[in-house]
Amino acid sequence: MKKKKELKISRRTVMKGALAAGAMMSAGSIPSKLFAGEFNIPDPLKPLPTTGGNMRWIDSGDMKGVFWKKLFPEYAASRGITIEYDGLPWKEINKIVPIAIRNGTVHDVFQLPIGMDPGVAVSEGWVQPWDDYIENIDEWLGAFPSGVYLPGVNQFNGKTYGTCLTANKRTGTCLLYSEKYMSEAGYDPQAGRMTYSEIRDAAKKITKNGNGQYYGWIIGGNQVNRWEDVVHTFGQVGGAHSGRGGFTNRHINFQNGKFQIASDQYMEAVELLLQLKSDGSAFPGVMSMNAPQARALMPQGAAGMIFQGPWCIGVWGRDAPDWKYGIASEPVPDGKEAQPLYIAEGGSNTFWLSANSTMGPFAGDLIRFMGTEQGQIYWAQTVGAADPAVNPDAVAKAGLTGPSAQALSMFAENILVGPNPIVRNKDVGIVAAKSRVPDPSLALVIQGLYTGQLKGVEAQLKDCNQRYEDALDKAVEEARADGANVTRDDWVFPNWDVYSNYGAEKYQEL
Amino acid sequence: MHKKPLSKQIYDARWCYLFVLPCSILTGMFVIYPIGMSWYFSLLDWSGFTKEAKFIGLQNYYEAVNDEFFWDAFIRSFIFMFGTVPVKIVLGFIIAVFLNNQVLKLAPFFRTVIFMPVVTAIAIIGIVMTFVFSPFNGPANKFLMSTNLTSAPIDFLGNPDTVLPTVMGVYVWKWLGITMMYWLAALQTVPQDVYDAAKIDGAEGYRLWIHIILPIVLPFAIVIILVEAVGALNVFPLIETMTAGGPFFSSEVMEIYIFRTAFVTDSGTMPRLGYACAAGVFWGVAVLFITVLQGLWMRRTRRI
Repeated sequence: MKKKKELKISRRTVMKGALAAGAMMSAGSIPSKLFAGEFNIPDPLKPLPTTGGNMRWIDSGDMKGVFWKKLFPEYAASRGITIEYDGLPWKEINKIVPIAIRNGTVHDVFQLPIGMDPGVAVSEGWVQPWDDYIENIDEWLGAFPSGVYLPGVNQFNGKTYGTCLTANKRTGTCLLYSEKYMSEAGYDPQAGRMTYSEIRDAAKKITKNGNGQYYGWIIGGNQVNRWEDVVHTFGQVGGAHSGRGGFTNRHINFQNGKFQIASDQYMEAVELLLQLKSDGSAFPGVMSMNAPQARALMPQGAAGMIFQGPWCIGVWGRDAPDWKYGIASEPVPDGKEAQPLYIAEGGSNTFWLSANSTMGPFAGDLIRFMGTEQGQIYWAQTVGAADPAVNPDAVAKAGLTGPSAQALSMFAENILVGPNPIVRNKDVGIVAAKSRVPDPSLALVIQGLYTGQLKGVEAQLKDCNQRYEDALDKAVEEARADGANVTRDDWVFPNWDVYSNYGAEKYQEL
Repeated sequence: MHKKPLSKQIYDARWCYLFVLPCSILTGMFVIYPIGMSWYFSLLDWSGFTKEAKFIGLQNYYEAVNDEFFWDAFIRSFIFMFGTVPVKIVLGFIIAVFLNNQVLKLAPFFRTVIFMPVVTAIAIIGIVMTFVFSPFNGPANKFLMSTNLTSAPIDFLGNPDTVLPTVMGVYVWKWLGITMMYWLAALQTVPQDVYDAAKIDGAEGYRLWIHIILPIVLPFAIVIILVEAVGALNVFPLIETMTAGGPFFSSEVMEIYIFRTAFVTDSGTMPRLGYACAAGVFWGVAVLFITVLQGLWMRRTRRI
């Protein structure tokens, strides 16, 4: 029998090929069309270094990771570099990034840990400005909606240190539900925002229909921030107007500058969660699963409802394309009109360039491309509502349909820009750096109430509220002792109309 | 007799010192230096990743001993130790006695089966066990329900009353093999002559074990208890992967407490490396104290 001829490639041949390819790429001006793929990556505005190299990038993953994993290989090939991407949960970023910064091995591009004040990152010299690496940066910044790039938020000393490609106009506690179970229970969340009583009744009916096979409601209860997110957003919908973000914004009513953890709206939201449990409507075992585990059980038919973010859309679309589900706004307390939700000015998913990075030209080139309308369209088409692109025109042109489009329109309708103390006074950043969320935090208090280890919703929330007040007072005091010009009055915005956006002109009025 | 000067003694023993040097350097780098630095950090108000670190003396220690969550975690660590070590010691001994019997042909097989969890990555075990004990389709609950031992699923890891015993059970299962091996090693030091002589003297069954074998292996028991006790106080990976200390601190042992305060948590708490070091130093001293007590007990037992 004639032996089939095998294709033999020697190591030397491979080396020659690699060297040739490397030489071609290092020319720095290869038209990107050579690398035909999903993306039309434009040539860099100015020649990039011909030395190549490896760019390391870390962020909180999810749908961002899905997009980067598609784009990075094409981009890397077009620029003659390699890109090492780590998409990790926030819990891991919170651990890895500080340690990596300390020992000088942080990724070229990274996200700061939750709660870390960007001003500290700049003053500590961990990051470098993007200005030298993004060609025509002023023109580039001008293409973003106003309020995305702000001094004290992502710009310091007249330079741009943090780049945002996504908007923060979204909530993480939408009502996501199984269409089948919900319709069998006799409810249609698309007909209008559901009330707490309706949620409770629907959960009871789904549980009854499930007869032990599935339940009304599920939550990733051992991921403690989920409890706080639900109560915070539901409280806002109920009328507890407050900011979002870190400790120095969250739960604070900017009309009087006080925490409102013990407000009626927060209590009602906690009571709803406890009632779902006492009704027997909660999925058994919520306390031993995190948010992704709870999310994964929904398409498996384990529960009828979950309060989660639009990031579920992409994951379910990929993992359970045939499962029918719906997305709707957060429920409202009985007899009340839903109130607006607020976000602080600025974008989300801010990317920082390590001070030690030598890959700045490539990182800047990539970020610049992603900030263009075409880059934003690409982003929106893959990431959808999970992390909405910051450019509204690009989102409109992305042609989103289904739950993604519905979620974005829901967010546009429900969310306003609220005041942000750090925009008013940059020394608030020093307070943020000194703040410590008191133990037990609100998230843990709600968890403790749910498990029954803590008793008395009102008493616990009042205690918690006082702890938060004391912690902020202490942080302000410490910041002042270090020379910061800040008082608790910086959290009071008497001209805040809770039904309109709080823009630059409002800050000028103060 | 005229004693040699110290320099001469050192010179004479230079080869010994030379051979000790690499180990001393490594010990210094990876044991002494970190311990020393943790003592120093414990005196600072420092998040761990900014340049700003303020010397605050013993304030972190003062805050730790006045924190109810610190003491809860402290006590919980000892509950874990006292709940697992006796079970492992007794169970490990019983299994070792059976598997030390040369007549039992399948002894190597059983030894391997019992030892297998020891060589399995603890993080993997932690994650797998969250599925095993899941109230929804978890095999543990399926078994209990199918045998009518319970009428409703039990949320082993989500219920504050069951979470710690469940984790303790998994810990015992995971490390039982190593305790068994310790006991097997101890039992194999008992010479065959002793068994033969005991039999001639009419000592059989439990008498043989209580009056002959146990006194011989007792010094080993002290060492095993010491090793096991210190091991049971170092259970970070298992608890972090199974419960992360929850729900609401129900399974938070000292290592989880230290970890929580040293890094940013889910609830957005800023890290406090200085405080975490103070808690760690306090905890380290407590463990050292227990170890010294056990050491003294061991010496006393040996004298008896």
